[in-house]
Amino acid sequence: MATAVPDATSTGDPAPGSTRHRRSPGGGSRLSSRLGLRARVTVTFAIGALGLSTLMAGITYFTARQTFLNERQSAEQRQAFANAALVQNALRSPITQVNQLIESVDTLPGSRSVLRTGGQWYATSISVGQSAIPAGERALVLAGTPASQLFTLAGSPQEVIGVPLPAVHAAYFEVFSLDELAGTLRALAVALAAAALVTTVAGAAVGRWAASRALRPLAGLTDAAVAIAGGQLDTRVDSGDDADLEELAAAFNAMTANLQDRIEREARFTSDVSHELRSPLTTLTATVAVLESHRDQLAPRAQSALDLLDGDLQRFTRMVDDLLEISRFDAGSAELSLDEVDPVELVRRAVAASAPVDDEGVRGPVPFPVEVGAGVEGLRLQVDKRRFERVMANLVENAAVYAGGVTRVLVERRPVSVTYAPLPATSILVVVEDHGPGIPPGERDHLFERFYRGGRAGQRASSRGTGLGLSLVAEHVRLHGGRVWSEDAPGGGTRFVVELPLHPADDGDTGDEAVDAGGTPGAGVPA
Amino acid sequence: MSRILIVEDDERIRSSMRLALEEEGYTVDGVGSGEEAVARFATEPYELVLIDLMLPGIDGFEACRALRRTSTVPVIMVTARSDTHDVVAGLEAGADDYVTKPFVAKELAARIRALLRRSRHEGEDAAVLSFGDVEIEPDAGVVRRAGAEVHCTRTEFRLLCELANHPGKVLSREQLLERVWGYDYFGDGRLVDVHVRRLRTKVEPDPASPRFILTVRGMGYKLAV
Repeated sequence: MATAVPDATSTGDPAPGSTRHRRSPGGGSRLSSRLGLRARVTVTFAIGALGLSTLMAGITYFTARQTFLNERQSAEQRQAFANAALVQNALRSPITQVNQLIESVDTLPGSRSVLRTGGQWYATSISVGQSAIPAGERALVLAGTPASQLFTLAGSPQEVIGVPLPAVHAAYFEVFSLDELAGTLRALAVALAAAALVTTVAGAAVGRWAASRALRPLAGLTDAAVAIAGGQLDTRVDSGDDADLEELAAAFNAMTANLQDRIEREARFTSDVSHELRSPLTTLTATVAVLESHRDQLAPRAQSALDLLDGDLQRFTRMVDDLLEISRFDAGSAELSLDEVDPVELVRRAVAASAPVDDEGVRGPVPFPVEVGAGVEGLRLQVDKRRFERVMANLVENAAVYAGGVTRVLVERRPVSVTYAPLPATSILVVVEDHGPGIPPGERDHLFERFYRGGRAGQRASSRGTGLGLSLVAEHVRLHGGRVWSEDAPGGGTRFVVELPLHPADDGDTGDEAVDAGGTPGAGVPA
Repeated sequence: MSRILIVEDDERIRSSMRLALEEEGYTVDGVGSGEEAVARFATEPYELVLIDLMLPGIDGFEACRALRRTSTVPVIMVTARSDTHDVVAGLEAGADDYVTKPFVAKELAARIRALLRRSRHEGEDAAVLSFGDVEIEPDAGVVRRAGAEVHCTRTEFRLLCELANHPGKVLSREQLLERVWGYDYFGDGRLVDVHVRRLRTKVEPDPASPRFILTVRGMGYKLAV
């Protein structure tokens, strides 16, 4: 199989070969490691089949050739000696016309006779005369030894058999054409070569099939690994009833179970901590509220202390909430609760909900415009409203803390609505712009990391930021199958863009998310 | 002065909640277990009950079910988790609403006010409403099906009235949340879903394939005429 090639180079040279390298079949050869296992097995099978079929074809060819030649030669010899005897008898009679005699000799098709008698050469064919017979053969026979020789005449194989006739001072030669035999052997060679070729191809095919078949469990393993990488930690592989695979499958499953266990334990720990923190937070929140309602009775210093306490209690609560939310994402237990909504209303409501609350608990006005792009009206978006509200709140807050506040919010569609080529909308973009100092390109990639503050670390004096806001934005949006990124805003500042697909691949489990054909305007095609 | 019963095993939380709610003008009693709650509720009239889900002995779900067997008193679940499972289980046990720890006292007070207000103002729609074999007397707070009285909680009753007042019209979950619970746009739609489900078991001949209270996919709910 594929491991047949011994690894000669790496055994004597342990330094560069990593364990993996040395373990790979034929690891010394760069080519073989570049080829896939399947390709290597295929090539090995093909080479094996080629070698074997070539050997078999060669043996067959040479055996057949020898057999044919032997049979042919013995037949020729019989005839040549019979004819020689005939010629000798005829020459004994003095009246014999040598020319007639040589014509009358009974020959096989394609054989020609040459006779030397009385110092003269006679031949039945003009093309095959005394000169056609090799000189060595001539000399040997004329010296009195019967001999045969293979030679080539005008490109075609011939055999000459010479019989000395000492009794009549003559020598009889018969030249046999081996064209027919050569033709047969040629045909045989072609047939054998074709057979070898077919065998090679078949060998390659068998090799490929066998490799595929042997690798099929590997495909299952690959699928499982991909699923696990995608977050489905409960994925396990099934070894079937294959004893060879059982060990691998068991090891793989054990590894995955370990991994799942660890991840779940970590997520559970975060979740448990957050839950445990909620009890004292509940007490704190309730008692601070009581203190707040008696604020007037407190001395100014106590009031300041209460404000600090209240502010950081809120921040602490937010942080615990955010940690709990993050731990759900980490545990893969975050669920979408989809509603079908008007995206413009959704954004307006979310923006309104992000406006600051005054002391009486009344929401203030939204200090920036919400602009709606062409073709957005009438679209329906499937969204988890609570999560979207968190996304907007976090983006608005981020802008408030780091960039002096949001300057405008845009709701657009993709692809952009154009009247001459109406394309159905596939996603909604919600753009949150600010006129802040902007974000260096190098920092943009890190913005959505947890607790990332980057070059803005000096500005953390806010009582609101938890450091998890933007990473939660990214998680919420990702859960919807959407994307979020930041870019330079035209005219300076930064814009955060949230893209939400109109038709998320994974429908939630609310059962109410499907489109009511009669109730929703067609998917956003401008009239 | 409304009387409220708090069922919470953590004594400190119970005390702080009592302080905060008394600040809002309520009379508050606290008990530490579901068994005590059921016993206390049987002897004294409370206008609203706050139940923590995690209790020693019988848990919050079971305590809620026990209360529901004898009373339609508004119940608010207090949960440490807002996971679907707990919320839906709590609502299915009969709770009218839920708050997640740590809650802001003002918000809890607002929820309590919303539940108490509507339990007092049920007489707005005087005319008798009816569909199928169901009759609703908004004044008396009575629902009858084929002549027999059906016991609805006040929230279920309010939801039923809301639907029956707009026969054939689709009401979105947001509209129902606002009108029945007093929530804004971002209220939890699961409140509506679970209450509709509960309502169906009471007024539908076959709750699995409803004939009256219909789901309009992607839109909301409506009462079929």
